[in-house]
Amino acid sequence: MTELATVVFAAEAGAHLLDAPRSTRFSSFQRRFDEAAYLRDLSARGIAWIARSDVSFPRRLAEIHDPPPGIFVRSRTALSLEGLPTVAIVGARACSSYGMAVATELGRELAAAGVVVVSGLARGVDAAAHRGALQSGTTLAVLGCGIDRDYPRAHAVLAGEITQRGWIVSEYPPGVEPAPWRFPARNRIVAGLAQATVVVEARERSGALITADLALDEGREVLAVPGEITSQLSRGTNALLRLGATPVTCAADVLDVLGVEPPPAPEPAVLGEPLRAIRSVVADGSVGADAIVRRTGLAAGTVAAALAELELLGLVTQSDGLYREVMGRT
Amino acid sequence: MLARTITHALVGIDPRRVEVEAHLQQGLPSFAIVGLADRACQEAKERVRSGISSAELEWPTKRRITVNLAPAALRKEGSGFDLPIALAVLAASYQLPAEALDGHAAFGELALDGRLRPVPGALVAAEGARRSGLTHLVCAAESGPEVALAGVEPVGVRHLADAVAYLRGERDPPELPPPDDDFETLAGVPDLADVRGQERARRALEIAAAGAHNLLLAGPPGTGKTMLARRLPGILPLLDDESSLEATRIHSVSGVLAPGTGLVRVPPFRAPHHSASAAALIGGGVGSPRPGEASLAHHGVLFLDELPEFQRPVLEALRQPLEDGIVTVIRVGGRAVFPARFQVVGAMNLCPCGGRGDGAAQCQCTPERVQRYREKLSRALLDRFDLVLTVPRPRANDLAGAPGEASGPVRERVLRARRNLRERPPRRDPAADDLLTRAVERLPLSGRGRARVARVASTIAALADAATVEAEHLAEALSYRAPAELVE
Ligand SMILES: [Zn+2]
Repeated sequence: MTELATVVFAAEAGAHLLDAPRSTRFSSFQRRFDEAAYLRDLSARGIAWIARSDVSFPRRLAEIHDPPPGIFVRSRTALSLEGLPTVAIVGARACSSYGMAVATELGRELAAAGVVVVSGLARGVDAAAHRGALQSGTTLAVLGCGIDRDYPRAHAVLAGEITQRGWIVSEYPPGVEPAPWRFPARNRIVAGLAQATVVVEARERSGALITADLALDEGREVLAVPGEITSQLSRGTNALLRLGATPVTCAADVLDVLGVEPPPAPEPAVLGEPLRAIRSVVADGSVGADAIVRRTGLAAGTVAAALAELELLGLVTQSDGLYREVMGRT
Repeated sequence: MLARTITHALVGIDPRRVEVEAHLQQGLPSFAIVGLADRACQEAKERVRSGISSAELEWPTKRRITVNLAPAALRKEGSGFDLPIALAVLAASYQLPAEALDGHAAFGELALDGRLRPVPGALVAAEGARRSGLTHLVCAAESGPEVALAGVEPVGVRHLADAVAYLRGERDPPELPPPDDDFETLAGVPDLADVRGQERARRALEIAAAGAHNLLLAGPPGTGKTMLARRLPGILPLLDDESSLEATRIHSVSGVLAPGTGLVRVPPFRAPHHSASAAALIGGGVGSPRPGEASLAHHGVLFLDELPEFQRPVLEALRQPLEDGIVTVIRVGGRAVFPARFQVVGAMNLCPCGGRGDGAAQCQCTPERVQRYREKLSRALLDRFDLVLTVPRPRANDLAGAPGEASGPVRERVLRARRNLRERPPRRDPAADDLLTRAVERLPLSGRGRARVARVASTIAALADAATVEAEHLAEALSYRAPAELVE
């Protein structure tokens, strides 16, 4: 059992190791290393360790060509992905409000169908996908730094919610600082854990495309959300589509690829006025509240209340002050 | 011969009694001011000498003149001592009857030609006079209305010669112009009628006014955030007598009271620039501590435009006034406490370049830059805003919003809502409770967030004249919660 010693040694040496090195430095480290004490310390901090040789190590991750020696897990519940459909949702950190809304809705609808939504806890699309998934199910975040770090720090609250209702995973032991070279390595785990990878918005040559490439290398399915052809943020995704990635127009497209039955459609909510009138304005395209006021002739307060109710019903989402209809609910 | 006048020095916004003693003795001609006077105060010598000559009065030559400002331990700042010094010298040289100064305090600056200039803090000086048991305050004519507020009879004069004539009993004090009434008070205040469209933001502004809620407006530049904020004072109730006196005192000391005006009746509107220092915002400065923008906004509106561009320590410094309604300024010479109970309107772009939320522009910011920009708003600060609104830039074909309702009727509704909240605060309907529970399950809504939504819902019900908070009121309140992208 040298896996734990390997990752701790690698962290101290600032290296990235997949297997125990044959060096005297490592041998002497291994003699000094008290695995039992280390594990006790981890568990006192609520962190579990799953070695690659462990039966509970995620099977799909073990199948990639460069699996990590093991993974650290921070969660209230033991990690078990066996038999669960898993999808990675990745995309630009500086995404548009469209990308944010799509990622949230995909996360939510896929999680509602029982899919574990995997992403990298980064800003933008990643965080939106995690948040969406937490609304209706569970999610898994892969860190590119030590398992004890909430990176980026701005997502500390989100990370807390994920440990309550999902899992945070890293191949790096506590104390490893975030470093740019570790993020591509993190992406291979995101892609490796998932049956399929959905790219929501990506610039050319961006990290999300690296994840897509890694997924393709492992023979996993890659899907992409179409975007406006004029937007930089759609260059990457539209290029993927041209190369043959499956287009995503709603959550059902993804479930189809996974072979997962979509959950029974909820009873279509019977909307009274003014909700129905407002919803039909929103259905014409993203729109600000003032424009809705002008098109419906309703009072601003009435429109605000109706929009909040439509949001609660999951029929409408808002970002940067624009309201848009939730996909696939017509 | 020795003569004495009474005046008051300002320590923060408090008056301290100062006795000005002029002592004329035989000896080599000289003029000295003793008693911890600062430079502006030392310069009084030139102004007093020149002013007395210009008033065709006699400067006592061939005398050794000593002016003592007592108590000596109190630091004397500024030019308000000119008039009391001049009057003391005149009395000591028998140019004024000695008893003429009984019951009178004096406060004002002299120009070299003997004209009287108003000095900041006349209201506080007058309150000091009243506490000292004095009935009259000789001051610049412009200070008259302020002095009258303190319950002291102002003797507002334009020239030292007029003051002397009055004290010699040769003429009555000049009449004061009548104070403005409320209607005129609101005359120059910006009106909501100027705002086209912006229906949602106008509604939020009305709710903010009715419930005294802090409001944060986020959106790309040019969406009228500043224009709206400036219109908040015009829909707030005018200040009652006590509040008005508190605000006036601070404005008086800071020298921002327009000359000749009386009480500050319209809630003040202060808009410090984002480069403002903590001292400028909460008070401080060299010498006697001065109130900052937070206190100038007391009982009014503090508008923080470009909120994330403020220095972090400056924003942190705002926490005490936001919590306690006061600021404490610690000085070498002790602490000064200034009232600072204000309503905040914050404004910010959605990203540093301003492109976000603007359909016509592409945001050029890196995610790190956007994040750093938003992280400047600590969770603690964001928690202070009951209403958060994202205002997108209107599209070209949406621009033609109707001309807006004027401030007058909005203000009527605000006043009625405030009365409702005071006299019969609405209870929450079970349907509203259900909705809130559903919202907590569905939305990232903290405990504090939940309390904020409930507060705003009460205000909305009060605006609707409803006896209970209905589900619809609660739903509307939910729409003003901070969006996820700002919360994290
Ligand atoms: Zn930008």
